[in-house]
Amino acid sequence: MSLLSKLFGKKQSSASVAKDRLTIMLAHERVDCKLPYLDDLRNDLIEVIKKYTSVDDVKITTHNNQSVDMLEVEILLGKK
Amino acid sequence: MGTIITVTSGKGGVGKSTTTANIAVGLANLGKKVVAIDFDIGLRNLDMILGLENRIVYDVVDVMEERCNLSQALINDKKAKNLYFLPASQTKDKDILERDKVKKLLNTLKEDFDIILIDSPAGIESGFEHSIFLADRALIVSTPDVSSVRDADRVIGIIDAKSEKAKEGKEVEKHVIINRIKPEMVDLGNMLSTEDVLSILALPLIGVVPDDEDIIGSTNIGIPIINKEKSLSAESYRRISKRILGEEVEFLDIRAKKGLFKTLKSMFK
Repeated sequence: MSLLSKLFGKKQSSASVAKDRLTIMLAHERVDCKLPYLDDLRNDLIEVIKKYTSVDDVKITTHNNQSVDMLEVEILLGKK
Repeated sequence: MGTIITVTSGKGGVGKSTTTANIAVGLANLGKKVVAIDFDIGLRNLDMILGLENRIVYDVVDVMEERCNLSQALINDKKAKNLYFLPASQTKDKDILERDKVKKLLNTLKEDFDIILIDSPAGIESGFEHSIFLADRALIVSTPDVSSVRDADRVIGIIDAKSEKAKEGKEVEKHVIINRIKPEMVDLGNMLSTEDVLSILALPLIGVVPDDEDIIGSTNIGIPIINKEKSLSAESYRRISKRILGEEVEFLDIRAKKGLFKTLKSMFK
C-alpha cells in the first residue's frame, strides 16, 4: 500500500484483497473431506431402499478434484 | 543413484516447460549429467523450448513399449553436453503411460544420470500422477495470481498422497518457484508479492523469476535464456540451479528500479 493511501485510509490494494480471498478459500478447501453427515445419510438411504428391495450394504465414498466434490454411492442388493 | 525432480504446477501456462528447460541446462552447466523428460503426452512442448524438435526420432512411449532402445530415443543437447532429452509422445491417448513401465524407465535412468528432471503436464490426472509418483523432489511453479496459487495449493496437497516415497514414510522435498513476478506491480499493491504467495503456500522458496519479455524471444528461437548474460531471469535460473544442488545463494534483488517519478506515482496512487 502506498504512503498516501495509508494516511488517508484509501481503499485496499487489489493484491491484499487477493491474499485475503485466497487465504479464506484455501482454508476452506484444505478441510478434510470427511463429511459429518455421512453416517446419517447412509442410514436414511438404507431405510428408503428397504421400501423397495432388500439391502446388504450401502457404501459411500467421497471424491474430489479441482472443480467438483462427489459422493459415490454403491448399493449392494441382498438376495431375496 | 540419480535424483528425480518433478516440475509441476496444477494450472497450465504458468511456465513449467520454460522452467524445466532452463533448469535442465543450468544443472548440466554445473557439471551434472541431466535428463529432461517431457511427460505432457499428446502436447509435446519442451522439445521446442530446448530447440531440439528436429532431432526427435523416438519418444518416451516408444521406449516404454520397447519399440526402441533408451539410447536411441535420448537426444544429446549439442551446446550443453551433459544434457539429454526424452520427448513426449504425440499420441492422442494421453492416458497411455502405465505405472509399471514408467517405474522401469525411471529406475533405469536413475542408474545413468545424476538428475532426472520431469516436466509434468498441467492438471491432476493420470499424467500428473505418473510424473510425481517416483519423485524425490518437487518444484512447484506458480505465478502471483489467484488461480495459479490456488491450483498450486491443490497440487501440493496431492503430491504426498500420490508419491511412492510418502508411502515409505518419507516426504517428497517440495520447493516453490514464483514465476513472472512484476516488481513494479507488487510495489503498487496490484500484484501478490513473493511473501504473500509463500505465506499462503507455506513451503520454502527456491527461486523468484521476474517477468521478462526476452523469454518469449528465447522460446521463439529455441535457445533457453539461462545462458544469456546481463539478464535478470537468466540469473534467477542460474541461482535456482545452484540451490537445487544444495548451494546457498543469495536471492536476486528484483525490486523495481525507482526513479523520482515512480516514487511520486506510487505515493499518489
